[in-house]
Amino acid sequence: MTKPKNKPRKSTPRKKKSQKKKAKQSKIHSGLRGYLFNRYAFYGVILITLFLASYLFYLNIKITDKMSGRIWSLPSHVYARPLELYQGKHLTVKQLKLELKQLDYLRVSNRPTKPGQYRILNESHFELITRNFTFWDGKQKSQGIRLSIYKNKLSALHKLYSDETIPLFRLEPVKIAGIYPATQQERQLIKLDEVPDDLVLALLAVEDRRFYQHWGIDPRSIIRAMLANVMAGGTVQGGSTLTQQLVKNLFLSPERTLTRKINEALMALLLEINYDKSVILETYINEVYLGQNGAQQIHGFELASQYYFAKPLKKLRRDQMALLVGLVKGPSWYAPRRHKQRAVERRNQVLKLMLERGALTQAQLNKYTALDLGLANKPRFSSNRYPALIDLVKRQLKSDYDEEDLRSSGLKVFTSIDPLIQSQAQASVKRVITRLESANPKAENLQTSLIVASSQQGEIQAMVSDRQPDFSGFNRSLDAVRQIGSLIKPAIFLTALQQPQKYTLASTLEDTPLHIKTSKDVMWSPQNYDKKFSGNVLLHQALEKSRNVPTVRLGLELGLSDISDTLQNLGVTRKIPTYPSMTLGAFSLSPFDVANMYQTFAANGFNVPLKVIREVLNKDGQPLKRYPLKSNKAIDEKAIYLVNHVLHQITQTGTAKSLANKLSQAVAGKTGTTDDLRDSWFAGFTDDQLAVVWIGRDDNASTGLTGASGALQLWTDFFQHLEKTGDLHSFSLEPPGGINNVWIDGESGGLSEKKCLGAVELPFIQGSEPTEKAACKSAGIIEQIKRFFN
Amino acid sequence: MQVSRNHRTDKTFFQLGLIYKIAALLVLLLWLGGCTQTRPGEADPANRVLPVEDSYDLPDVIKTLINQSDEQYLNQNLAGSLATLERAIRINPRHGEVWSRMAQVYLKLGNLEQAKQHAKRSNSVLKNNPQLKAFNDRIIATGSVESVH
Repeated sequence: MTKPKNKPRKSTPRKKKSQKKKAKQSKIHSGLRGYLFNRYAFYGVILITLFLASYLFYLNIKITDKMSGRIWSLPSHVYARPLELYQGKHLTVKQLKLELKQLDYLRVSNRPTKPGQYRILNESHFELITRNFTFWDGKQKSQGIRLSIYKNKLSALHKLYSDETIPLFRLEPVKIAGIYPATQQERQLIKLDEVPDDLVLALLAVEDRRFYQHWGIDPRSIIRAMLANVMAGGTVQGGSTLTQQLVKNLFLSPERTLTRKINEALMALLLEINYDKSVILETYINEVYLGQNGAQQIHGFELASQYYFAKPLKKLRRDQMALLVGLVKGPSWYAPRRHKQRAVERRNQVLKLMLERGALTQAQLNKYTALDLGLANKPRFSSNRYPALIDLVKRQLKSDYDEEDLRSSGLKVFTSIDPLIQSQAQASVKRVITRLESANPKAENLQTSLIVASSQQGEIQAMVSDRQPDFSGFNRSLDAVRQIGSLIKPAIFLTALQQPQKYTLASTLEDTPLHIKTSKDVMWSPQNYDKKFSGNVLLHQALEKSRNVPTVRLGLELGLSDISDTLQNLGVTRKIPTYPSMTLGAFSLSPFDVANMYQTFAANGFNVPLKVIREVLNKDGQPLKRYPLKSNKAIDEKAIYLVNHVLHQITQTGTAKSLANKLSQAVAGKTGTTDDLRDSWFAGFTDDQLAVVWIGRDDNASTGLTGASGALQLWTDFFQHLEKTGDLHSFSLEPPGGINNVWIDGESGGLSEKKCLGAVELPFIQGSEPTEKAACKSAGIIEQIKRFFN
Repeated sequence: MQVSRNHRTDKTFFQLGLIYKIAALLVLLLWLGGCTQTRPGEADPANRVLPVEDSYDLPDVIKTLINQSDEQYLNQNLAGSLATLERAIRINPRHGEVWSRMAQVYLKLGNLEQAKQHAKRSNSVLKNNPQLKAFNDRIIATGSVESVH
């Protein structure tokens, strides 16, 4: 293209023609430029429109994806067992007070009038109004009850202000932990039609008066806020609508940039286009951040109502609603428990706005502004009280739910954890570990595990995995896999006694030096704990006194794989090595494994794998899954009775005889000690409860403690406290059918009589009683008198 | 004429058929009506629930839970029935009546293995109750409760 000349020339007709031509050309050129410009502009506009449309489309997808799916990650909550109340139940005043404290009940001096209140009369009569609660098997409505406790037993249970007896009542369970999403957000969802009108009115009066008129953004509010801010010389008002606030909370980061503001406005518009005002309002009411409880963030008005007033939203007074609405502006600045005066002023501001909107009369305003904030005690619902137990709950849940679901689906997990037993277990651990360390110079840096389960159902009731029970770290109950020492012995003797034609409690075992060639051509010579040999011992004596050498002999005679099979039948799932020293427990199990094994002894041969979860509900309270009681009769009850008979004798005359004068109820159990006193064990039980204790050091060094001088001490302390509260049922000594008690000679194992010297009475499986008579030397008169009284 | 007669014969036959059909329908309706009149559980032996006899030395709290469980059982809420029986076992595991009922619920659920296991558990704690022992033994031996009713 030629450039137009700058200098004008004289015009001649030819020139004129030429000029015309040039002008025409110039016109064409400028037209072409215009055309090209228009065309580029057109494409540009199309491109920009396409980009904007795509971006809006993207934002729209972002909004609808979140709104149509699970908007929030709801934490799962773990509940303890509900306390069952019925006449005759062992329950102390102290225990009931503790339970009500953990349930955040409020003690009042007058008659209780609201759910969650109680009073005590004469330190033994309780009147309380329970709260509504959804159990796995249905809803239980709030109810007034009164009960009396006499001599550590619930002696009467009635309806409140009535003589009508209640045969059985479940208190709602204590919430013991939350399994939180990464954001640590806690909320309770509420539907809009359940939200009081006054709260909605107050919220709109304060945060967004033209909520029902605007389309997500409100220019009038923005201008009004700008003017107000200019007048005040700072930010005193925000122009954001509720929709914008919701968009900011749900989709955007808190940074203050122009881009975020533009996104906020666009998304607010899109949200309004896609969703009804009621959906937006309901989502806002559930989303808004209203406080902090430790690490947990309090979101939504319903949870905030519970957190600040211990009441559901619909039960709040209007001044309390006004406070919650006032907190939206700054939950930390107006935190009512820390900054009471600020909170009162803010509440009163909101009340005034409610007056302006006609929601209050002047008289009501005067009345409400004069009121105290009416805050409840700070609840403890969010703290994880029992870290080791919650770890077990999570592990057992993981077989059915993935981690993400646990943290975000709002599951309600009902467990068998008993807070009363747990607190006793924790107290015993602290007390005894300190005592052991101060009494034994070699015992230092001790660590421990204590597991308590119900004997018959295998439900975990308590578990401590650290000498500092609140410490959340290595879970020794589940992960400390240590040699079990003599805890193996009952399994070996059980293997023998399942062959009654061959072995009885009166069978003779050799207690003489033994040398075994192991597979590595190394000689192994097992020793007894006292480094002595007693010649011959009867089978029951070998177990009672925990003799090593006769046990190894018996084990080798039975076959190591048969012992391994018995262990599996008892509930041990780990692989058991089959080398000779396994007969002395030279293989490792966790305390939880040991508890599984001894549960089968405690339940007379029925193996019930230990569990902690009973039921799971979804966030709406609908049943999802139940973990039912399943039994497996693994061992003949007659054989197990014979072993249990000896396990009881151990607590009377054997290695755990210190128990005989410390507990009045009969118990059964076995001590365990490993080489160089590295591990100290005791596993013991009654008909109702089983407990396993391990004491050792994390570096596997010597503790200086045997099973009897270490673990048994902790076990005894714990059971003594159970007994004090009356919550200990004796170990049953009643034999099953097919068992005969026979007097035998304590040395030879031959038939004897009660009057004979050295005679002992032992149970035998029918048909396996000894037939040969032993010589009878008459017992002295004192011995006979003793036997008479026994 | 013949055609007409034949036609008449056909019509008579058809009418007779209709009467039979109506009669059969009536019989069916009566039978169904009879079924709904029958108390639940009577038609199917597995639906029956052993009564909690006064002679059983059961505390009120256990009786309350057994009755609640029976009601759930009859309403076909078998999971609920099991859960209620487990509550009773937590309170006191030494009542064979409760374990036996668990066996019965498992039987109804078609879980023969657990039915037998719980019948065995019932026997292991039963005292002087030959009727219940016979009931349990029947479950253990045959996986059925039919002949004990």
